[in-house]
Parts: sequence; structure tokens; C-alpha cells
Amino acid sequence: MSSNKCKKAKKSEKGSFYKKSFVSSWLFAVPAIILMYLFIWRPTVMGFVWSLFKMKGYTPKFYIGIQNYVEVMRDTQFIPLFLNTLKYVLWSIIVGFLPPVLLAIIVNEMVYFKQKIMTFLYLPAIIPAIAVSLLWKQMYDPTEIGLLNIILAKFGMSPYQWLGDGNFTILWIVVSMTWKSFPGAMLLYYSALQGVNQELYEAATIDGAGLLKRAWYVTRPQIMGVLILNFVRQIIGVFQVMEQPLAMTGGGPDGASASLGYQLYKYGFVTQRVGHAMALGTIIFVVLIFMTIFYFRLNKKLEETL
Amino acid sequence: MKKFQEKTTGLLTNVDLKGTKGKIIYWFFFAILVISCLITFLPAIWTVFTALKDPNEIYASTKFFPEKLSWGIFVTRVSDSWTQLKFGRSILNTLYFSIVAWAFKLTVCTFAGYTFSKLKPKGSAMVFALILWTMMMPSQMRTVPNYISFLSFPFASRTEFGIGINLLDTYWPLWLGGAVDAFAIMLFKNAFDSISNSIIESATLDGAGKLKIFFSIMIPLSGPIIIYESIMTLSGAWSNFFGPYLIIQDTAKQLLPAKIFLMGNDGTVKQNTYLMGLIIASMPQLLIFAFFKKYIMGGINVGGVKG
Repeated sequence: MSSNKCKKAKKSEKGSFYKKSFVSSWLFAVPAIILMYLFIWRPTVMGFVWSLFKMKGYTPKFYIGIQNYVEVMRDTQFIPLFLNTLKYVLWSIIVGFLPPVLLAIIVNEMVYFKQKIMTFLYLPAIIPAIAVSLLWKQMYDPTEIGLLNIILAKFGMSPYQWLGDGNFTILWIVVSMTWKSFPGAMLLYYSALQGVNQELYEAATIDGAGLLKRAWYVTRPQIMGVLILNFVRQIIGVFQVMEQPLAMTGGGPDGASASLGYQLYKYGFVTQRVGHAMALGTIIFVVLIFMTIFYFRLNKKLEETL
Repeated sequence: MKKFQEKTTGLLTNVDLKGTKGKIIYWFFFAILVISCLITFLPAIWTVFTALKDPNEIYASTKFFPEKLSWGIFVTRVSDSWTQLKFGRSILNTLYFSIVAWAFKLTVCTFAGYTFSKLKPKGSAMVFALILWTMMMPSQMRTVPNYISFLSFPFASRTEFGIGINLLDTYWPLWLGGAVDAFAIMLFKNAFDSISNSIIESATLDGAGKLKIFFSIMIPLSGPIIIYESIMTLSGAWSNFFGPYLIIQDTAKQLLPAKIFLMGNDGTVKQNTYLMGLIIASMPQLLIFAFFKKYIMGGINVGGVKG
């Protein structure tokens, strides 16, 4: 009976259903392909093409070569903006990368309340991102009505500027972003940990490996793929940061938290330098594509060594 | 503490947990988790308490708890904030918007998944690879060109033919742009892949067409993934901020996330009302989570395996 079914299934690979009517098979995918062309492929290409055009408002006028790029790069703000963006990325790696990994490992160790703890920790992920930014803006309030200054006051300290302190504005924004995004990453790592073979731990224990050695030699290689994937995704995501400075600081104080993405928004929709916006978009795109290629190289190497 | 001896997963083995050192490490881990829960909850608790305070109280004292708390105060605070913030219209807008967005996305992405999983016409593997590639493409570059094309849709810009429809201040760019999602197409393709071909074959022998097979076999047999995508799409409408903020300027059509952003810029809103606004804005997603927790936290595992 079962072998009969198998034969049927094999036959069906070449059966009438699969070969018949080429057109009607494609028809199902047509809406997705058209929309993908209109909303993803075309704008990506046109963004590059129009970055070489003189724009009048939102209408492309004539070809001007790389003049938009020259003007964007010559802008005295460009270097500081680029450095700010790198600061976002660096702080997010320092503050935001390890905590979800460690928390996932620790939650996985729990014998009691595992699911309850996970649910509690998941709370920030449920709140809309824009509400999180606005909430943290209130928590960072420089007077004594902000939560963090209330806490400082409890310890007898005077209020701190938080977002007003230009040296660390980016750090404080990154802290709020991390608060929002760590539960999702934690859950991802947690599910990767479920795939670790328990016998490896037992074998390592018998060989006398301590806790840290087990974590390094057994857990780490097993979740390395997800770790690197998330690491690169985080860099690519944070490099495009825009909503948080827009909602929390407006790029301030004195441009200390403005990123390239935020500048793109300002070029495109506030100061109406649309050509510049698209040149800047292309620059961001190229940087990130290089990072993506680097990731694939790294991933390939990793797969070869494992 | 019986379960300690039965622990079969994780770094700490049951042998470790018999010793004092293992127990200390375990409780140290537990303490870290308690502190983490505190960090996630403290802002939320503070938000609720401050939202219930009287405006004079906020600026007069730095106390964490409100001085007076009763059901009556709760009701007045909620109703006062509601009348000041005028969220009603945008909540209805977002509800309407999210349902249409859901219908568009599910239709487009399940159909596409069907082609790439089961129908597989010639060239479909290549197109599918092309679609997967879009997941790696930085999205920021598209913001401005997309905006330009919305001024004379479906043309790329005004100059090409000088005609086209202005889609600004309508939900269409968001519905159509949101309808196609490479990740969703991939999830549906994977779900359909796991459906046995023999079922389809026997349905074909019974004379069922492609559409019939799609609705009577593919969709019913991929329930969990369809529920997961539905939840994600419906809840996404309550958190997507930037796109709707750019495209919809008309206050009568505003969606909730853009509305709370504008509230944040409004100097006349006092802190307690402001935080009440954030609570109201988070409610839809909190409710969705409360009802569908199992799918939301399980569904990320579905995506995680792929990562």
C-alpha cells in the first residue's frame, strides 16, 4: 500500500498537474512579482539613477553626473554624521549584542518558571517602537520628573542631563533600542539552543570540562551561525537608524545624535534637497551591500570549518 | 527541588546541581533573570503609576507611587486623557487599515508561495531567488524614490508620461507596498512544501483545478503559519510609524503610531496624559499578545530555525 503511494507520488512529479498550463501557474505569482517590481526593485534602481540628476522638488530635471555626491560629501556635516552612525553601531554592539545571548543561555538553564520568565522578559517587544522611543524620552527627562532622575534622586544624586549630554546621547538612544529589541533576539537564540545536542554536554562533563569550558567549546560553536547572522543583521539595521533620533532628540543636541538615515530624511522631506537624499541613500546602500557580501564570505568560511 | 535531579537540558547538568557550587551558579542565574525582569517592567510600572497621577503631583514631588489611587481616579484620568488626545478616530482608522492590509498581504503572499512551492513553472526557482535577495537589500534607499512614484503612481515619476494617480493621503501605497513580503512568501513556500504531493495528485484525479486545490488543500493544511502571519500583519499596523507618517498628512486619516508621534511633539500635553497616551497606543498589541502568545512566541522559532 505504502509503496504504491510512493510510486504514485514519484509519478506525480512529472504528472499532468505540474506541467500543464504554464501561464496559469505563473498567474498566481504575478501580483507578488508586479508589486515587488514597483515597490522594491524599481525604486532601488531609480534611487541610484536619480542620484545623478538635478531634481526640482520631486521631479527629476536633467543629468548632472556626480554633482549630488560631491555636494553631499562636501557638506561639513557629512563626516560627523558618518562618525555618529558608526557610534550608533559600536554602542549597539557593546550594549546590545551580548545581553540577549547570555539571557537566552541563562533562561535555558532554568528548571522552574522558564516559560513565565520568558513571557515577562518579552514585554518590551510587544510595545510599538515609536511608543518605546517616546517612553524613554520621558524617562530621560532632564528634570526630576523622569524615571531615571527619580531613581538618581533616591540615591541622593542631582539630576543628570541624559539625552542633553552630547557625549553620550547616542549611547542613551541605543540603550532604549536595546530595551526594545533584546527579547526578540533572545527568543531567536533560545530556539537555536534547543538544537544543541545534550550528549555533547554530558561527554564534556565526563571529560572534566567546567561550566565555562562547556559554554565555550560546546554551546558557542553550535549557535555560531545564528550569532553571526544576528550580528550582521544588527549592524545593517542600526546603520540605517532614523526613527529614534527623529522621535527622541530631533538629531540634537547640536547634531550630536543625527545619523546618516536621519539626514536622508531631512534632505528628502524637510529641506527638500531630494537629489542629495538619493545620493546619500546610494552611499548607505553601497556600504551595507559590502557588509552583506562580507557576511556571506564569513558564513561560507564558517561552514567550511565546521 | 525534585526537578533538579531530572534536569536533562542545558549547560548545568543534574550532576552539577547536586554540588553546592552548581546550586550557587543556578541561583546566581536566577537572580540575573529577576533583575532583568525588573528592568523590563520598571518602565512599564512607572508609566502606569505616573499616568494615574494628578498633573500637579508630578511636578511637585518625585514620589514613585501616586499619592491617591482609587477606581474613581482611574476612570477620570482615562476619560480626561481620552478627550484631550482624541485617539478615537485614528484607532478606528488603524483597525480598518490593518484588516485590509491583512487581506492584501495574505492573498498576495500565499498565492506566490503556491507558485514557488507546488506549481513550479519553468523559471520559478530563479524568480524565487530574486525575491529572497530583496530580504538582504537595505530598505532606506527606497524611501525617497518610492515617495516620488506615489505622486504619479504607477509611473516612476511625474515626468515619464505626465500622468498617474497621486496616492499620497491614501492607504494604497501602504497596502500595496506592505502586501509583498519576501519573508512571508518564504514561510508560505516552506509550509506548502511540507504538504504531500500525493494528496494534490488524487485531488487532480477527482477533477479539482489549481484554484480549488489551493483553497481546499493548501490553505487548510497550513493553519499555524497562516495564523502566525495574520497576527504579525495585524499587529504590525499598530506599530509601523515612518511610512504612514510620511504618506498620510490628512489628520482625518491618520494612523495611531503617527498620531502618538505628533502627541510627543505637542507641548501642551502634560506628562501624565502623554504616558496615558502611550498606554492606550500599546493596548492593541498587548491584547493581541495576550490572546495569541503561543503563536507569537512559537512562530519566531519557525523563523529562527531558518536563520
